[in-house]
Amino acid sequence: MIRRTFLKIAGLMGLSLLGFYHIESPRGFSLARKKEEFEPPLANIPIGGLIRPPGALPEREFRSKCISCGICVNICHAMKYNALAVVGFADFRNLGTPYVKDMRDFPCGLCMECPKHCPTGALQKVEKEKVTMGQALIDFSLCFGWNGDVCLSCSKACPLGAFVFDFYNSEWGNQPYINEKCVGCGLCVKYCPLGGSAVKVIKREIYQRVKPKYDQEFQRLLNMTMEERYLVVYNENLPKILSRGRIQEREYR
Amino acid sequence: MKSLQVVNLKRYTLLRRIVLVLVLVLFLFQFLRIKLLIGGLSGSLLISWIKLLDPFAFVEALIASKKFTIDSLWAVIPVLLIYFIFGRAFCGWVCPMDLFFNWINRLKTSPYLEISYKIPSHTGYIVVLFFLLISFISGIPVFTNYISHLTNFFRTLTALVFLTFNFPVDFSLLLYSLFFLLFLLFLEGLFPRLWCRVLCPVGKIYGLFNKISLLHLKFQDKDCLQCASCERVCYMGVKIAERVPQGHIRSQECIFCGNCVEACGGKANLIKFKLGV
Repeated sequence: MIRRTFLKIAGLMGLSLLGFYHIESPRGFSLARKKEEFEPPLANIPIGGLIRPPGALPEREFRSKCISCGICVNICHAMKYNALAVVGFADFRNLGTPYVKDMRDFPCGLCMECPKHCPTGALQKVEKEKVTMGQALIDFSLCFGWNGDVCLSCSKACPLGAFVFDFYNSEWGNQPYINEKCVGCGLCVKYCPLGGSAVKVIKREIYQRVKPKYDQEFQRLLNMTMEERYLVVYNENLPKILSRGRIQEREYR
Repeated sequence: MKSLQVVNLKRYTLLRRIVLVLVLVLFLFQFLRIKLLIGGLSGSLLISWIKLLDPFAFVEALIASKKFTIDSLWAVIPVLLIYFIFGRAFCGWVCPMDLFFNWINRLKTSPYLEISYKIPSHTGYIVVLFFLLISFISGIPVFTNYISHLTNFFRTLTALVFLTFNFPVDFSLLLYSLFFLLFLLFLEGLFPRLWCRVLCPVGKIYGLFNKISLLHLKFQDKDCLQCASCERVCYMGVKIAERVPQGHIRSQECIFCGNCVEACGGKANLIKFKLGV
């Protein structure tokens, strides 16, 4: 009899919790992920793996050291950055290991709390400037600064500032370029006002591979004559940019 | 006191549950951004100062990476100190699975009760070696990442809390962890305490500390009534009555649940906890 009443009470509590749950989270239990509205910038360059937390060992060593204890993820949550998430079933080899999920929503704040507290040494203590999470690349065909607007949001958001950004002045405005000192935290990715962002962070190994091609594109853009540039900007780039619009509140979770 | 009688908890069991709930509440504080105890039971951070690392996870990560880091040693030393004092008390007092397994045990569903307790617990060391071998070959701490009940429990907890507050959650991982926990409960329903006694490598490593720990069970200088009530309440299957001539119990299976102390207390009052050499 006691057990029955207990079950009843437990059931009622569970039901009320369910109701509370629906009020609390606007998306409820929907398992479907929100569809991305725009294709990511630099669609021809892959990210090349998982962007690990700052101070991570090389991929293979990191995997053998990480025990999936969840300190880094929870401390990232406690520091209010929410940048780190855990790998799911899709990548079974890396199941449960931390990675920066989507910098367009939650970039790494470089608070350097996770490497300080990793118990197995999978994340090693490093200085802010020497982190190698990845390399941010600007998509010149989408960037406001490279297409006649005055923006520079990325350089204002960057925690390392002038250390990382080079500026190229021309009659097209002040054009930002991210050099190799970039640590890949992704704050520029979040604060790019373009819908879907014009900046992308890729793994260092992939960057070494795509660097010649990317630099060639960059040099071509610098050496263009005024008329050529005008055609490229007004016929190709601006329609793309205007179709994306300015979006600050993103949801790519 | 009436509520206590309704739930029918014994004194030590109540104390154990209070400790368990306290530890879990400390872990829940991390979701309110209060950094008292962060992480999970396989690796955690106490007041953002002391790192704690499960010894089996330490060994597994060491073998998987074949490289020693001083950080992990600093993290494992406090835990080793705790187990040097309390032995395998973790399993009975802090491990959340003990509570769930007790609920399942109370339903008395198992058709293989006898068989489960006949499997000698020493076969568990084969399981330990098996997991270490897999870790060595694959270069992944396999048990702690995929199978550990502690990792899966805290993953589930984190995912559920994040889901409630609408933070990014990976549903596939949540389902994996949840189904693994359910599988463990199902296993418990068939073979009571097979996981705790034989299969769980974490408990096996802690069991080694029972041989040298300060906390142990001691028999007083009295006559044993041979009533075997202590062995009846011991759910880890320790042969207590056999050890009366030795004067103390240093069994690797003992998780200091205190059931035998209480069962004996009403009769011969022979068994006592002792903290010391």
